[in-house]
Amino acid sequence: MINTNNLTKKYGEQTALDHLNLDVKEGEIYCLLGANGAGKTTTINLLLGFVEPTSGSAFINQLNVSEDKRATKRFLAYIPENLMLYPSLTALENLDYFAGVAGKRLSQDNLKGFLAEAGLQTEAFNKRIATFSKGMRQKVGIAIALAKDAKVLLLDEPTSGLDPKASNEFGLLLQKLRGKGVATLMATHDIFRAKEVATHIGIMKDGQLKQQFVANDISLSKLEKAYLNTMEYNEVGS
Amino acid sequence: MLSYNFKYELKLLLRSRWIQLLSIILLLLFGFSTYNGLQKVEKRKNDILAAKTEIQENDVLMLKLLDSVERGMQVNVPSWTIPSSPMAVGNYHPRVAAMEPQPMAFLATGQADLFTHYVKPTVGGDDAALNFTEMTSPVQLLFGSFDLAFVIIYLLPLLIIAFSYNVLSAEKESGSLRLLAAQPIRIQNWVLQKLALRFFWLSLLVIFSLLTVFFLLGLSPFGNSNTFISLLGLILAYMLFWFALAFLVNLWVGSSAKNAVSLLGLWVVFVLLVPSVLNQLGNTIYPMPSRNLMINELRNMKAEVTEKQDEILDNFLRDHPEYALNDSTQTRGFYHRLMASKKLVKENMEPILQSFEKQLQNQQNWVEKFKWVSPAILAQESLNQMAGTSKADYENYRKQVIVFAEEWREHLLPFLYNNQDFSSNDYANLPSFRYTELTSGSQKGIPMLFLISFLLTAVGLISSRTRNSKEVLNQG
Repeated sequence: MINTNNLTKKYGEQTALDHLNLDVKEGEIYCLLGANGAGKTTTINLLLGFVEPTSGSAFINQLNVSEDKRATKRFLAYIPENLMLYPSLTALENLDYFAGVAGKRLSQDNLKGFLAEAGLQTEAFNKRIATFSKGMRQKVGIAIALAKDAKVLLLDEPTSGLDPKASNEFGLLLQKLRGKGVATLMATHDIFRAKEVATHIGIMKDGQLKQQFVANDISLSKLEKAYLNTMEYNEVGS
Repeated sequence: MLSYNFKYELKLLLRSRWIQLLSIILLLLFGFSTYNGLQKVEKRKNDILAAKTEIQENDVLMLKLLDSVERGMQVNVPSWTIPSSPMAVGNYHPRVAAMEPQPMAFLATGQADLFTHYVKPTVGGDDAALNFTEMTSPVQLLFGSFDLAFVIIYLLPLLIIAFSYNVLSAEKESGSLRLLAAQPIRIQNWVLQKLALRFFWLSLLVIFSLLTVFFLLGLSPFGNSNTFISLLGLILAYMLFWFALAFLVNLWVGSSAKNAVSLLGLWVVFVLLVPSVLNQLGNTIYPMPSRNLMINELRNMKAEVTEKQDEILDNFLRDHPEYALNDSTQTRGFYHRLMASKKLVKENMEPILQSFEKQLQNQQNWVEKFKWVSPAILAQESLNQMAGTSKADYENYRKQVIVFAEEWREHLLPFLYNNQDFSSNDYANLPSFRYTELTSGSQKGIPMLFLISFLLTAVGLISSRTRNSKEVLNQG
């Protein structure tokens, strides 16, 4: 569902992403781990079509992102680190607007159903987003993905700044989406959360995918060690 | 996407109190400026009425004096003012040649504070042409009155700039643009729809505010429905131009601060710089001959003809055998010589006046040729036209007054040269002035403004085809 083929992005002499090859299938959650500047956000920006690759290609649902950006966006939902919605609109109105803009005309009952499915409390439906915590806004973001019936979910540091409870709830939501066959690519620093929710984990450094694991095949401590080793190796090597 | 933008843009504008704020500002601006315009029109009407009343009262006295003279009574006034003399009537009992304000005159002061709107041509006065034309500054494109035209041309664009400069950049700066850009839409189309909706809502507010102000001030927009519809058309076309510009700036520039500075810079260029540069260039390319030289020339000519008045009168009478005197007891006096010499002065001055007229016309043609460069000029010209205060209106008035002054003189001269007294029976035959308004020409400015606005929008859309959403997302 999400594929990259030698995907490379350079900014002048600086290589932000170096020949990335990824394959995330339906019902998989792929977590990209890495420090700041590792190339995680660049990967997501390339998959969203926000930047053009220098070479290589990215595919969403077998459609080339560079060639047909709008078509690929019909299949995907995106939740950035800080999901900013319209603060003066309510959760229900924000959901109605973004789903509508994406071409989904939904009844109020359906919209409420998606908000509830995303774990938002009923009394918050008609409250303005300005009063929402980050965790509540992320839930609205998930509701947008549900309303769009997205096949692909791109998440950029979605749990950063969330308290453990909210982070845990978010993890559960991702599992729910996984159950619906959604392919998820999540960029994160959070090794613990990655191990908990991911089906696959990749460690990135300097724009390169250094190591990949099947989440079930590696323990948290080994993952942590691999992550630190990758960082150290590169630091020594650099 | 449009229906959702339509639905939520109004909610966002209401909740951010933009609609309420704009309604109050527009009502205040339109109310105050319309009231100001009406006050000016009222003053103009009162001035004309006072002049006419004065003439009517003078006429009553004149008729009483004539009656006394005709009954052979002694009158206690200086001999040269006794109205049995046609020159006394021609000089001391002139008619008022007034340019009555048109129904929508309150819209734009236009040239009204530069030119007179009533004169009293006399038989002994200089040619009326000398008293009408603003010789040194014929193209008054900078306007200082706080009238409706000022609000529309100067202030409305500033409101539009405040209302539209950050449609895209605010989304970018708040972070919501990334979420929007992740939807299957073209950001350029989304910006265009947002601006089009803001144009729609602002247009409604403008129409509502204008109608409210007109009704509150007792004006009936439907009494002059054609002009009112033209006024609305002009305002909408002018607003559309600024929204089109905002569209381009939103797409091409980037951050809110840069957008605001760019749009304000464009406001300065289109509203202030271009009109004054065109004016200056007109003056430089077609300089007016010195007015002082012209006045000196006139004085010299007057002095010259004064010395030769007898000769001039002889020549005049030779050209006008109809005034030959058969009665040897009658003679030719001061007024005969003066009027003959004035005619000569007028004929000799004609080429000098013509050179002024020509340069003036050249300057006006120059502005006419390039007026489309600034929508402010187009809008001002159209508003002046609707108000009847354009340079064409005053030129039309000036020409009518010159014709009337000639008619007044020609009516009384036969009395003078035939040495015939003016009697009370002749009063009813005195010519009177009636101003004929220009037939309202088509408002070419409105379609031109619409055309420019659509062209700008098209440029934005075409150029955005060559720019990806990523460029819009990443500029700043």
